[in-house]
Amino acid sequence: MRVGIVGVGFMGSTHAAGWAETGAELVGCVAETIEEARSLAEQCGLKIYRDVASLLNDVDVVDICTPTHLHAQMILQAAIARKHIVCEKPLTRTYAEGQQAIRACQNAGVSLLVAHVVRFFPEYALAQQSVAQGQIGKPGLIRLSRGSFRPKKPVGNWFLDEAKSGGILMDLMIHDYDYARWIAGEVESVFAKKVSTGRPDASVDYGMVILKHASGALSHVAGAWAYPPPTFRTHIEIAGDAGLIEFDSDETAPIRNLVLRTRQGEASDVGLPSSPTSESPYTTQIKEFYRALVEGASVRVTADDGLAAVQIAEAALESARTGRAVRLAGN
Amino acid sequence: MKIGILSFAHHHADAYIHNLRLLPGVELLGVADVDAERGQNYAKRSGSKFFPSYADLLEAKPDGVIICSENNQHRPLVEMAAARGVHVLCEKPIATTIADGRLEVEACERAGIVFMTAFPMRFSPPLLEIKARLDAGDFGSVYCFNATNQGELPTKYRQWFADPILAGGGAIADHTVHLVDIMRWFLHDEIAQIYAQSNRIFHADEVEVETGALEMITFRNGVFASIDCSWSRPPYWPTWGGLTIEMVTERGAVIVDAFRQNLTVYSHALQRPTWSYWGSDMNQAMISEFIAAIRADRPPCVTGLDGLRAVEAVVAAYESTQTGQPVSL
Repeated sequence: MRVGIVGVGFMGSTHAAGWAETGAELVGCVAETIEEARSLAEQCGLKIYRDVASLLNDVDVVDICTPTHLHAQMILQAAIARKHIVCEKPLTRTYAEGQQAIRACQNAGVSLLVAHVVRFFPEYALAQQSVAQGQIGKPGLIRLSRGSFRPKKPVGNWFLDEAKSGGILMDLMIHDYDYARWIAGEVESVFAKKVSTGRPDASVDYGMVILKHASGALSHVAGAWAYPPPTFRTHIEIAGDAGLIEFDSDETAPIRNLVLRTRQGEASDVGLPSSPTSESPYTTQIKEFYRALVEGASVRVTADDGLAAVQIAEAALESARTGRAVRLAGN
Repeated sequence: MKIGILSFAHHHADAYIHNLRLLPGVELLGVADVDAERGQNYAKRSGSKFFPSYADLLEAKPDGVIICSENNQHRPLVEMAAARGVHVLCEKPIATTIADGRLEVEACERAGIVFMTAFPMRFSPPLLEIKARLDAGDFGSVYCFNATNQGELPTKYRQWFADPILAGGGAIADHTVHLVDIMRWFLHDEIAQIYAQSNRIFHADEVEVETGALEMITFRNGVFASIDCSWSRPPYWPTWGGLTIEMVTERGAVIVDAFRQNLTVYSHALQRPTWSYWGSDMNQAMISEFIAAIRADRPPCVTGLDGLRAVEAVVAAYESTQTGQPVSL
């Protein structure tokens, strides 16, 4: 199985490291410019392709790690070429694009795997498994937070361009919409606020979203681009009618750094969770995708899950803009 | 200075007796309770005088009373005290309807007495530190709050806490008011709008009121805040619940856990870890302020009007749970 990567930013190189742990052959990569692709290509021994079309000729699977607004068009292009697709989250920038992308993949008979990596983080996976086993009864109130500093990029910071990334309510918080759905099922209504709505010039951003699930459960999702680098903190609380699960990344950090001087340089462009584990959750994810593509094994996150998360994110953006709660169609 | 206790419907009354006795120059005149058996028991246990009726206690001319009746019974007692010129400290929420709360505030204004709402969190040292730093400009502008005031099902203390008439509702009525008051105090601003969703998944078979709820408040100045007021702590959680606030400002964020000052205690007797609070007694500071306001003939730092504003938020939150949309105040 030959794999090509589109987009060589942080996610592209992280996925490349994951593919290296599988039986797949990592063939090549495409970046906006050949210059950008050079570092990853040299590191992983990849061929640099001029564009997506030429990469598609040489691969069975394309792994899309580009900015969000480019996903839809690249998925369609790959589907037409009858290549399997792995796509970074969010599946697409809009719900309509996501529907179109899924239809195209169905028609072409190709797999569409959405990289909602949070489902592969051991703490999140274990909490979900504990709920599924009935350890805390029926979930009633779920609190999820994810906080870091504002993503930075030397040039063209697409993360901060809402038209491209969807901003904090989509790019960062979509992880937890997906997780809330995994725990408590379909979402009926969405109410959202974010700092940048009223204060577009603020140096920090923070979003809060209340989800009402069809089951009656409520979820509170919070996302921060407000903390000093290199902070990345996550919090899970799932209260059920027969128990409670709590997780806090600060409180469960196995190492506390009190060293006087570190050799660490500047923080990376994007904040990342980093509890030491024997296998990176990104690698766990790529391995599961690989088994699905090769052996038809089941995957814990479907394209429809990816689409539902985009639908919630889009509703959150609408709610923040209008100040009204948004009911989701079809749920 | 003579202080009386009206009703033991609220279990805090017991703690207030202890607090009063620690204050020099303050005498516990006695206690009265419509539930005579309960009142007599508490009177006996605390060695205080039991009055057969609220009127009898008020006839004995206390300087002030602490009202600890059921929430919907606050108004008649506030009005009785006000009519006799007796200063009032009233448990929160001060009423179950806006009309009752207004009548209380008006009666106390007419009588020219001290009317204080029992909001002990105003006296929490961690919150006072944040308030001082805010007012000193340490944080710059506030953007939003992500706050929780979660608890266990309070019926283990008193059954009426989950009675829709006596308490005025469930988790929303119980745990919205403290955070609303803190945020108004922090911001020097009023609520413009509130959105709320509720459910009854925890203890669904035990109570009729909502046990889970989330709210999103918008202040007039654009600051927004979420409140989780759920009774979502299991009865075997290390303590009764807690109050946390993440405050996001132009200089980043600060996270306050007002009840974090605990020992973790593992005891053979309980077979599970519990948290023993060693932080300062907020009730003591609150009762001291009530006495100080009476002595100085000045308004207390947290008034009946503050109590009324919190009731307005509760009523709007309930309305929002019905309409599914934010409600303007």
